[in-house]
Formats: sequence, C-alpha cells, structure tokens
Amino acid sequence: MQSLSATSAAGVLLDLSGVVILLLAFACLGSKLFNRYVAYYGAQSVVLSFAAGVAAYAFHSIELWILAVATLAIKGIGIPVSARRLLMQRLDLKRDSALSTGLSTSLIAGGALTAFAYLVTRPQLLPHGLVAAAVVPLSTAVILLGGLAMVVRRHTVAQLIGWLIVENGVFLGAITLVATFPFIVEAGIFLDLVAGVLIMLVFVSGLTRRLASASAAELRELQG
Amino acid sequence: MILLMILTVAGPLAGTVAAACGARARPAGWMASAGALVSLTCAVWLLVTELHRVPLRGWGGYLYLDSLSCFFLLTVAAVTLLASVGSVAYLSAEQDAGRLSAFQVRIYYVFFGLFAALMLAALETGNLGLLFVLIEASTLASAALVGLEARASSLEAAWKYVIISSFGVTIALAGTLFLYYSASGLHLAADYRLAWPYLFSHAGALAPQSLRLAFLLAVVGYGTKVGLAPMHTWLPDAHAEAPSPASAMLSAALLNTGMYAIIRFLAIAHARLGDGFPRAVLLTFGFLSIVIGVLFMIRRGNFKRLFAYSSVEHMGIIAVALGFGGLLGLYGALLQTLNHAIAKAVLFLTSGDVSLRYRTREAAEVTGLLAAVPVTGGALLLGSFAVLGSPPFGVFLSELTIVRAGFATSSPVFPLLLLALLAVAFVAFARTTVAMVTGRPPDESGLAAPRAAAVPLGVGLVALLVLGLWIPAGLDTLIRHCVAVIS
Repeated sequence: MQSLSATSAAGVLLDLSGVVILLLAFACLGSKLFNRYVAYYGAQSVVLSFAAGVAAYAFHSIELWILAVATLAIKGIGIPVSARRLLMQRLDLKRDSALSTGLSTSLIAGGALTAFAYLVTRPQLLPHGLVAAAVVPLSTAVILLGGLAMVVRRHTVAQLIGWLIVENGVFLGAITLVATFPFIVEAGIFLDLVAGVLIMLVFVSGLTRRLASASAAELRELQG
Repeated sequence: MILLMILTVAGPLAGTVAAACGARARPAGWMASAGALVSLTCAVWLLVTELHRVPLRGWGGYLYLDSLSCFFLLTVAAVTLLASVGSVAYLSAEQDAGRLSAFQVRIYYVFFGLFAALMLAALETGNLGLLFVLIEASTLASAALVGLEARASSLEAAWKYVIISSFGVTIALAGTLFLYYSASGLHLAADYRLAWPYLFSHAGALAPQSLRLAFLLAVVGYGTKVGLAPMHTWLPDAHAEAPSPASAMLSAALLNTGMYAIIRFLAIAHARLGDGFPRAVLLTFGFLSIVIGVLFMIRRGNFKRLFAYSSVEHMGIIAVALGFGGLLGLYGALLQTLNHAIAKAVLFLTSGDVSLRYRTREAAEVTGLLAAVPVTGGALLLGSFAVLGSPPFGVFLSELTIVRAGFATSSPVFPLLLLALLAVAFVAFARTTVAMVTGRPPDESGLAAPRAAAVPLGVGLVALLVLGLWIPAGLDTLIRHCVAVIS
C-alpha cells in the first residue's frame, strides 16, 4: 500500500491544509455578510484543491491531478462566482442577517462540535498505520461545522453552501487515502455534487419567484 | 447474465427516452410501463436461474448480485411496474384537466425512468462508494418529481427533501469513509477496498472502533433516506406534494433502497461487533420512528401525509426487526419490506384517484368514496386494512413473524411495546380512512379516474392476499438465501 508518513513533507502539508480548511469553515460560520461567507467557502475549496494536488504529487496519481483541477475550477471558482452573481445581482441581497442564533452562540457551538470530533475520532482510536491520521478528526470537524452552518443559516443559498462545506469535509477525509479510493467513485461523487447544485439552484430560483424571498424562514406552509 | 443485469437497470429508461424524444403523456407512459415490465421479467429471470449459485460479479466488483440484491430488485421492479401503470392513468387525467402542462408531463417521465433506473443500479453494485453515488443521484432525480407541480408548497417540499436527504447521504458517505479506514490494516488490492463481499468476508480483521462509527453514521445517513425518526422530517412533505404515482415510488421503492444500504452495513457490523451494538442502534431508531409515525397518524389532515407517516412507522418496524436479528427477525424484516412496498404502492395510487375525484387532499373533505367510486373506495379500504396488518393480508404474517422474533431474541418488553404501538396505529389510521370511505358522497363530482387506474390496484391487492395466505416456495427459498448472505 502506498502511504504518506506523517513526518514527510507531503504529510505535513496535508495536515496544514486540513487546519486551514477547518479555520475557513469557522470563518464561514462567523461571517455575517453574504459575500464574505461565499468567499470563505471559495477559499476553502482552493485550499482543498491544493491538498488534493499535494496528495497527487506524493502518490503520482493522474486521477488525483484531475480531481484537484476539477475542485479548483468548479468548487473554488465556478460555484462561488455564480453564487455571488445570483445573490448580489439577481436576488439583490447584500447581507444575510438571517441567523436563527446569535453569531457568538453559533461559534461556541462550532467549538464544541470540533472538540466532539476530536473526542470520537482521535488518532488513538483509529487503526494503526493510518497515514495522516490527524486529518481524520479535522475532516470530521469540518463536516459537523458545515452541518451547523446549514442549521443556523436561514437563507436557502446559505444552506446550500453549508452542504458544500460538509462535502468539502468528506473530500478532505477521502484525500488521505485517495490514492486507493477508486477513481470512478470519486468522479461519481463529483458529478452528484454538480448535479445537486444545479437542481438546488432551480428550486431556489423557483422559490424566489413564488415567495419574493428564498429565505427558509418563509417556508412555513408545510408543518406537522 | 451480465447482459440480463444491465437490462434490468436499463428497462425503466425506455420511458425517459420516449419522453425526451417528445412523446405525449399516454405513449410515454406505456413505454415506461413496458420498460418496467422488462425490468421485472429480468429480475424474475435472474432469480429463477441464479438463486442457488454463487453471486454474480463483473467489472472488478462494481457489478455484484447476490440473493439479497435479487430480492430488493424484485421489490423495486414490481413497485416500478405498478407505479408506471398508475402514472399512465393519473398523468393523462391531470393533463386533460389542465393541471399539468405537456412540458411537465415530459419532465415527469424523464425523471421517473431515471429515478427507477438509478435505484435498480444501486441494488446491483457491490461497491459501497458507488452505492452512495447512485443513491445520491436517485435523490436528485426524485427531487424533480417532488417539485413537479411547481406550486409554492411543492417547491418547498422539494427543497426540504433535496437539502435534508443530500446532507443525510453525505453523512452516510462519511460512514463509508470510516469503514474504509477500518479496513486500512488489511492489505487489499485497490479494487476491493470498498467491495462489500470482500469487506464482509474479512470483517474479522476490521478495526472495531472505526467500524462502530461507520455503522452509526451509515444508519443515520441512509436512515435519512429511509425516513427513520428523527431524520424523517422531509418525508411527509415530499410524499404529500409529489404526484401520487411518484409518492408510491418514494414510499415503496426509495425507502427500501435506503434500507438495503443499511442492511449491507449491518451485515459487516454484525460480523465484527456481534449482536449488542447494532441491535441497540437499530432498536433505538426503530422504536423512535414507530412512536413518531403513530403519534402523527392520530392527527386527521392530509391523507397523503397520513400514508407517509405510516411509511415512517413501517420503516421503524423493519429497523426493529433487523435489530431483533436471527433467522426469524431477518426473515420478518424482508417479508415486511415486500408486503409494505406493495400495500403502500396500492394506497398511494388510490390517493391519486381520490384527489382527482374530490380535488382535495384533506381527509375531512372526502366522504362516501365507496358509494361514489366503488373501485377506488374498496381499494382504499382493503389497502388500509392490509397495511395495518389485519389478516388475511401479507403484512399480518410478516408482523407476526417480527413479534415472534422479538420474543425469541430479546426481552419481552420490546415485542409487547411493538404490539401496543401497532394497536394504536390501527385505530389512528382506520379512523381516518374508514371515515373517507363511508358516508354520503358530495353532490358535485370531479374527474373520474380512468379505468386503467384500477389495474395496478387489483393486482397489488391480489398479491397481498396471496402473500397473506401462502408464501410461494420460491420466495421462501429466496428469503432464506438472503438471510444466509448477511449472517
């Protein structure tokens, strides 16, 4: 089995990218303005594609290079740019104060979730010989923070980006072993993601037309 | 044989192709039905010829078919056939009434075929990563069906469905990842790293902590698709807002596909971790779902929501049966899956006919069905009693098996609790449906359901009756083989 040791340059770079990705997830959680929220998500994806590139270089894997480039192009540039265009120009939305909790509460909850992620996936609990084991709790924490962003944000587009943060967390976890993660599966996950974003955007614009606002707070028709 | 497997998956795409090429409602519907018939025939054929032999494999483990996949293929293909025949009648009536445009009907058939094909494909793969990919793709295809009518409420339901399910399934992907981690001590060839048969046969060497997390995440993740409480919140909305044949597909095919994924994880977890942990997880989520489903069934409102909460309850029962385990528990769970699928398909198709006739989905506004439309009313009444588990229908037999399994494998508290909840469910559900069926019909009349709509109802009810009186030897052998595959 090909592996990275935690002390090799690539291992250190992967760990470092994981930390930066976690910090950017916190930045998303704590940003009140919509354009910053989207920008932090874009930055997170760029760091993720860098991590994929590092793994691709270390494993000499062409498929991983393809994934790194696709991540950069679609998640790092395509989605943030089109989300900004949709939000700022079509929906004329400057800021999203629609949080269901205060900012500080959600940040504290985020800290608690990160601690929880370390509790359940601390490296000692994982099988021995697992490369870059430090990345596993980091990616778990990013998944939980993305879920938290989906819960506390009221706007549908913000919830969508929350889901994309979750997806980034999973992808970060997959990279650590990705040289042996089958390419067809990775590519399928990527396709699902793109199709998911497209179909969600169709619903968001449909809702915007119907309700004059696509905030999930307005979605009150179906209860019980 | 590989060709047969591909044909099973490709069958429903006939409707997609026809609709994409611009066929009208009726021809597209008949194409979809013919395709579903091809799928069902292939599934039966695979069953008859391959049952006693080794599992089929192909394409480096991506294509994999054993008895368990065969059983679920049969269920999903049968439901697809019932729902496509139901679609022909329902959609053309809606289009004639001007409630759906020709474009919406085309969209419906495109995504209906895609949805069915993706679910069937998910049942034929042995690679757990690909299983995720296909289940997530089927979510996206069915979201288009939920939002088809483009009212504010159906868009809201579609949004809720797609965002909650996508998140849930992503959690299941994290579970798959942890399963992958737990196997990192094994030196497997790259192709086998996510292959279920390989992981299952080497379950003894998996790392237990990581596997425990993997199982829990998979139950929570795929449980979102199954509709296990508390992840069920999308389910009543999506089922109520989708066109009725699509609701039938959601309830009777999609939920089962999710349960299939859970069973795959359960088999690995059970082999490594023993009885305790998987049982605790499944009983907790199972009983919670039954309680939530039953509580919401007491409220009288939209009858499609009532059927949806009954699905939550039934998925809970199946989870509980899986938790009880043993031959009886697993046998009961699989039999319940088949019975519930047929019964719920019949009920949702009936609900389509009712809403055509009465132009409402509120149970309180529907009375006198039996007098106004005897076929629909009769099917609703018989279907309700079938789904509630009265003899002589199949659900009675499977629920009895599950209760027996409970007494055999765990403390008597659990099966007794199950029985009590089933009794409450019976009263809550029948109270609403009996009131719909009896009484005086309203004076003004809406659209009559086309005659073709009665065909799937009759076929489904006869199947339920047969399954209640007699389990065919072939089915019995198949279910026993399934149990052998996963234990």
